[in-house]
Amino acid sequence: MLKNSDFVTGLVTLMLSLFLYFVAIPFGVTSPSNVNNIVLSPVFWPQVLSALLGLTGIGLMFSARNAVKDDVTEFVATEGSYKRIALLAILMIAYIAAIPKLGLVWTSMIAFVALAVLIKSAHPITAVITGIIIPLVLYLFFAHVAGMAIPQGDFVRLP
Amino acid sequence: MTMLENLAAGFELVANWESVFALAGGVLIGVIAGAIPGLSATMAVALTLPFTFTMQPITGILLLLGVYKGGIFGGSIPAILIKTPGTPASSATILDGHPMVKNGQAGKALGMALWASCTADLISNLALILFAGWLAAFALSFGPPEFFTLILFSLTIIAGVSGDNLLKGILSAILGLVLATIGLDLVYGTSRFTLGDPNLMGGLNFIAVLIGLFAIPEILSMVWNPKSIEAKTQSLGKEWVTLAEYKRCFKTIVRGSFIGVFLGSIPGIGAAPSAFLSYSEARRKSPNKENFGKGEIEGVAASESGNNGVAGATLIPLLALGIPGDVITAVIIGAFMVHNLQPGPMMFLNSPDIIYGLFMGLIISSVFLFLIGSVAIRAFRYVADIPRGILFPCIMVLCVYGCYAVNNNIFDVGVMFAMGWLGYIMLRKGIPAAPFLIAFILGPLLEDNFRQAMLMSGGSPEVLVRGPITWFFWALTVVTLVAIIRSGMKKRKVEMISHRNQE
Repeated sequence: MLKNSDFVTGLVTLMLSLFLYFVAIPFGVTSPSNVNNIVLSPVFWPQVLSALLGLTGIGLMFSARNAVKDDVTEFVATEGSYKRIALLAILMIAYIAAIPKLGLVWTSMIAFVALAVLIKSAHPITAVITGIIIPLVLYLFFAHVAGMAIPQGDFVRLP
Repeated sequence: MTMLENLAAGFELVANWESVFALAGGVLIGVIAGAIPGLSATMAVALTLPFTFTMQPITGILLLLGVYKGGIFGGSIPAILIKTPGTPASSATILDGHPMVKNGQAGKALGMALWASCTADLISNLALILFAGWLAAFALSFGPPEFFTLILFSLTIIAGVSGDNLLKGILSAILGLVLATIGLDLVYGTSRFTLGDPNLMGGLNFIAVLIGLFAIPEILSMVWNPKSIEAKTQSLGKEWVTLAEYKRCFKTIVRGSFIGVFLGSIPGIGAAPSAFLSYSEARRKSPNKENFGKGEIEGVAASESGNNGVAGATLIPLLALGIPGDVITAVIIGAFMVHNLQPGPMMFLNSPDIIYGLFMGLIISSVFLFLIGSVAIRAFRYVADIPRGILFPCIMVLCVYGCYAVNNNIFDVGVMFAMGWLGYIMLRKGIPAAPFLIAFILGPLLEDNFRQAMLMSGGSPEVLVRGPITWFFWALTVVTLVAIIRSGMKKRKVEMISHRNQE
């Protein structure tokens, strides 16, 4: 048997299906007690989907056992790939967390430059200048043209 | 209202500077985005969507349609010049487009791509105008069981043809359907998977899901391997396409356009298969078939007419039935939803002015595509030179602003990032994202029609096979499944034989 990544995908799918059926649906879906036909109950549709998910998972595991080659294109890791991707995850969390405190514009400027540093932009000065201009232009459009309330933060407020 | 009155009302909506600028601006944005390797027409439409919230419905939708059409053509520019398709639909254009560049005929190849694209776009728009109204009138007789079977068929075909593996397509569609169940129950109003969070009561925001699914994975891929997109732009050369060459390829272009119209009107198939089918048909019928793959201008004409022929036709199921024909029209449906418009047969009765306005706008878009495309061919060098280290941070900031602008809610930004990671995992595991998004959109409609059908019949499933229309869609679903499974088995057989031979 060839080691095929679809087997793992199928296994994870099957586990997800079991989790949905036995944990998420019983505890996450509220069904009124007066529903006398199961087909009309709010739990029916999620139950059908979780069953189909399980069947798909089993199908994937079965087809992976008979596969002669792995049809998933490998993403070649370069030096520091894992480190960069982990840092991007942290950057995304920090981006969301900082918006209420710093405001959308200032946070976006910092995030812009941080991402440019992360992907080792060959044009650092252009990145900084663009990182200042783009969030400001977007602020002008959404706040003054579209009339939307953009979070300003606790420190420096824009007109 | 008569057709002439509808046309007049539509003309009134479109005949203003705002709409004309939106259309021209949309085509320009689309061509630029399509021409940048690493950006796709889908991403361009998704990122433009938040800018349409404050516009008039017709203006916003025309802007997005312009981006769509421009993006499909724009993708052919890097396909020809640097052998990197800007969009998957342009993959077939590489086959003859790039060899022409090597022969010093880049300008000629791009010129033919533009002429074929505009011709196919026009034919596709005319097909939309002719067939959408007729199909919508037919769909007015559909009840919940008919819509349920139609949506089921659409999802089956989308899941089947979106990737290399049927099971992964089905997995993607089911995940989309599961995610669509989050929120309040459609009939009883009880909560489903909301975890007591009021942000989840209305379900996951559609715009956050689509931006997350189609833009963020590209940023993650870029961070994973920052040097993955690098290519050398070639010069345009001095030869340009002539009218005689256009005339010689005209039959191929028309054939490709009709292939595009036919495949585009079936939900889920999209532009790439159409381009390849058009190309192979052109090669089969051409007297110069031995030149195909070596720089034959007819090959460029065939693939470009095939992929652009889809652009108008994918709007047939969207406007007439409310079913998005491909992933880009799935994004465009967002613009309708934002403006409280529900595409489908009822829209032809309730808002015929918007429908006919869109038809007119689409015809004008072919002219803009020709004008803007001609300039874009010459300006591509500047577009291709945008450093990736600047472009991707721009995309991230645009995503955050666009997603926040939907509901003024930071929670949506979190959903977008989460969807981005899910999309990235799916990308790495070879699970197509298109069935996920389309299932997420159609999920509530599918469940709603199912439950309405059950309410009608008192819980009896017989209502789902109540008449010829439901039989027709069930039969199509079964035929599609059998065809996809058979083709998968054939592919596996070939793989096994080649594997045995290697051993």
